[in-house]
Amino acid sequence: MVATTPQTAVRKRRRPQRESDTPTVGRSRAATVAANTFGVLFAIVMFFPVYWVINTSFKPAPEILQFEPTFFPSTFTLDNFKSAFNAPFFQQNLINGVLITCGAVLGALVVGFLAALAIARFRFYGRKAIILVVLSVQMVPFIAILIPLFLMLQGANLTNSLIGVTLVYIVLILPYTVWTLRGFIQAIPRELDEAALIDGASRFQVFWKIILPLTGPGLVATSVYGFIQAWNEFIIINTLNDQANQNLMAWLLQNQTSRGTFWGPLMAGSILTALPVVIFFLIVQRNIATGLTAGAVKG
Amino acid sequence: MSVVDSPSAPPAEQPPAEAPTGGRARRQRRSATSGGFAPLVLTLPALLLLAGLLGYPLVRMAVLSFQSLGLRQLFGNLPPDNVGFDNYVKIFTDRTFYEVVARTVAFTVVSVVLTVVLGLGVALLMRRVAPSVRIAMIVAMMFVWAMPQLVATQTFRWLVDSDFGVLNYLIDLLPGVDFANHSWFADPWQGWTVITTIVVWAGIPFIAITLNAGLTQVPKELLEAAVVDGASVWQALLKVTLPILKPLLIIVTTLSVIWNFGLFTQVWVVRNGRPEEEYQVLATWSYSTAFNNNNYGLGSAIAVVTVLLLLSVMAFYMRQMFKIGDVD
Repeated sequence: MVATTPQTAVRKRRRPQRESDTPTVGRSRAATVAANTFGVLFAIVMFFPVYWVINTSFKPAPEILQFEPTFFPSTFTLDNFKSAFNAPFFQQNLINGVLITCGAVLGALVVGFLAALAIARFRFYGRKAIILVVLSVQMVPFIAILIPLFLMLQGANLTNSLIGVTLVYIVLILPYTVWTLRGFIQAIPRELDEAALIDGASRFQVFWKIILPLTGPGLVATSVYGFIQAWNEFIIINTLNDQANQNLMAWLLQNQTSRGTFWGPLMAGSILTALPVVIFFLIVQRNIATGLTAGAVKG
Repeated sequence: MSVVDSPSAPPAEQPPAEAPTGGRARRQRRSATSGGFAPLVLTLPALLLLAGLLGYPLVRMAVLSFQSLGLRQLFGNLPPDNVGFDNYVKIFTDRTFYEVVARTVAFTVVSVVLTVVLGLGVALLMRRVAPSVRIAMIVAMMFVWAMPQLVATQTFRWLVDSDFGVLNYLIDLLPGVDFANHSWFADPWQGWTVITTIVVWAGIPFIAITLNAGLTQVPKELLEAAVVDGASVWQALLKVTLPILKPLLIIVTTLSVIWNFGLFTQVWVVRNGRPEEEYQVLATWSYSTAFNNNNYGLGSAIAVVTVLLLLSVMAFYMRQMFKIGDVD
């Protein structure tokens, strides 16, 4: 393109302006200002509830209970966090939550990894059926089977125990675990396995020395997602167990009844409960989105 | 069904497309090299767990829906009475059932449309704003997305609290409006507005961020060509951008339908575990029938109906997943 005519000169001058704001089609300056304003407003509206939780949790008690709220705590206090931490069952439920969640993640990871290995690396009778089962059970709303689950576990004396609920949580996160790990294992070139086999490695060595280390990042991402799911669950555990055997999420539910709600400690407790999840989530966000839509972007 | 095979077909030494008749011979050859019982042993623990804690309960749920099981049977250690189709007759002749189904469907439609439309709008907006604004939007959405459902719902309960909620205060600031001590849940329409807001607010980030990722796949040249050919911005969106986004849109919409149809947490928490009739949806109705009223048979029947209603959507989702797998 030889730029000599006046038209091209004009176009050239307008070009940089257009390129600087966005990669899409032409638009006026006013529209760009409007878009940015909307963007900022959207961010503020979305974030407001999060901000309000943080704001409330650092306020002294009397400041929370007034009609005209303060948008910043007049004095920062940790009282709400202290009273949440020392509230009945909080520490007990915190320990339970950690135990149950870690147990469930570990269980699902071991069991799920083996199944994923079989699906990704072997062709066998019933393989398709297994994939179908794994995909479809992900869709079953767990509340639907809560009734028979409750009766079953009660019959086996596993209600009001950490073991019963851990088993349920393993099954809760197992389908996703199998499905994502399958993808990670498939990403490892099969030639690696075969080269090792030819060099005289046993099947177990191939698994231990090649597949397992190469799936490492996938294992981390999968277990973090499993952690989030198990940590956030409260309906099942609230139905199966009484207060001494619940997790932290269910503790938040208990807090709301008798004598009204103590908003300060509840908001502080919410922050403490959500903190591990938020941190983990921010680490693996990319994987979760791709896991759910699995390649739909390609087209 | 053969589509299931192709995404997981071994990369090099097998031709990707396989004739259904050749499958058997090939399978035998492979299993000879890949260790006979190994896959069975490897999948066994997972299958046992799924069968025991998911398969069996599903069957038991179906059986229970034809039985009467209440406190009398539970504590008297009596076997449940078989009542045939009584539970289903009870459901289908109860006016409440139709109201609950209508409410669930209405909520699902409204909330999914709102979430998808707003999510798409936000995704498009993200392409137009300055980089700093885009980062602010993403950060805000990440926090919302990461928030556990229960925490989010408790937060909104606090925001709309009748005595000290900030929402009443802000609305009260408007001239001539008295919102002091206004209760948001006395009128079910207002209550449902709050519930829908919680669900849509929490649902936007996933959709907006996913669709925004999809928008990066829309070739710039196509849009520019459309504009050169005289298309308006609106036409370019409808005729170029949306068709390219279609597979993603279908997946996120289907997922939202499945999630929102099973609405439970938000209703359960804002109504303190005992939703009034105007707040019941299928999931909460089944749960309250079973665990609040100790009618496990009837509760199971409602759960069966719920799953059956969802089944077509789920089947559609699975077909989409397989289709995509085929493309992969």
